[in-house]
Amino acid sequence: MSRCDFKIVLLGSEHVGKTSLVLRFVNCRFNSGTPYQNTIGAAFCAKTMHSNGKDLNIGIWDTAGSERYEAMTRMYYRGAHAAIICYDPCCASSWARLRHWLAELRTVEEDCKVYLCGTKKDLLDTNSTREVPEDIIATYSQGLNGHYLTSSKTGENVEELFQKIVDDCVADRDLMQKVEESRVQLAKEQEKDKSYCLC
Amino acid sequence: MDDVLDEVVSSEDLEKFEKVFHEQLHQGNVTHKAQFEYAWCLVRSKYATDIRKGILLLKELFNSHAEGKRDYLFYLAIGNARIKEYNKALHYIKRFLEIEPTNQQVLALERQINKRMETEGLVGMAVAGGAVLALGGLVGLGIALASRK
Ligand SMILES: Nc1nc2c(ncn2[C@@H]2O[C@H](COP(=O)(O)OP(=O)(O)OP(=O)(O)O)[C@@H](O)[C@H]2O)c(=O)[nH]1
Ligand SMILES: [Mg+2]
Repeated sequence: MSRCDFKIVLLGSEHVGKTSLVLRFVNCRFNSGTPYQNTIGAAFCAKTMHSNGKDLNIGIWDTAGSERYEAMTRMYYRGAHAAIICYDPCCASSWARLRHWLAELRTVEEDCKVYLCGTKKDLLDTNSTREVPEDIIATYSQGLNGHYLTSSKTGENVEELFQKIVDDCVADRDLMQKVEESRVQLAKEQEKDKSYCLC
Repeated sequence: MDDVLDEVVSSEDLEKFEKVFHEQLHQGNVTHKAQFEYAWCLVRSKYATDIRKGILLLKELFNSHAEGKRDYLFYLAIGNARIKEYNKALHYIKRFLEIEPTNQQVLALERQINKRMETEGLVGMAVAGGAVLALGGLVGLGIALASRK
């Protein structure tokens, strides 16, 4: 089994569109036909991406937003290199707990890169009213690694968001050094397993 | 390491939720939440005995707390798949899909389990009854034996 080079974790309130974002990114699809299915615990997806001439396996943990799972989803923050914190600009309550999510994340993974993601841009562009003021978002995202407004329905900015994350990770020399080391380690282990099986 | 069938709970986390569960047990009042969280850690343990214990706790929850059925079925499937009780895992998946036929997370888990059975040479075993079972089972067994030596 190939190991993931980068771990990305998604967090945010329930119904903001985390799962839809991951599915759009990984499968290039949006399920408008199926009703909302709240994620149970956490779901995993992987995808290979390219950056700066390198192939990188990224593993994405999509956590459930429902408070019912909160004690458990926190465990998935551990070891994350990047986090996407999602909110819905047309839903004030999805913004309310952002600080809380971020603080939680920081206690577990201090150095994790953090990206803010406003979801459902297609709705914002058509008829929904914005409930989270832009200036508040701007102030808040200053201390973070980036802010994107995405639509999983149209696909707008989805690829851009993930590409930015991977580019930032690849540009991080300390992180890349660790990635290289664990690749070498993995190759060694696989070599060992092979010789063991043959005898 | 990655993926819902491989990822492992840390011992700190397991101990943390174990403690809460046992405290409540001692006081004679275990909440669904505490039991679920503990079971959820157990089925993600690397030890089969823990996983089996988690499965028992989940079964008990399933029979006593209708509201959380969906969660319990899902982790019953995961727990069983992790100890390679694939047929049992698929059974729980089937029951889940009877309630929510299009659940993407569960359909993905089903695909994953089928893939594991295939690579472990167990495909034929999953087909219940009929001549397909006899043939598939034998072929599957042959592959399993061949790959074991
Ligand atoms: N129009 C539109 N609808 C969206 C978009 N993203 C998500 N939705 C809808 O919003 C609802 C919730 O989406 P999910 O992706 O399941 O939300 P989630 O954040 O994963 O929710 P939890 O798993 O409970 O935490 C679904 O009905 C989606 O179809 C979007 O970009 N545009
Ligand atoms: Mg979800």
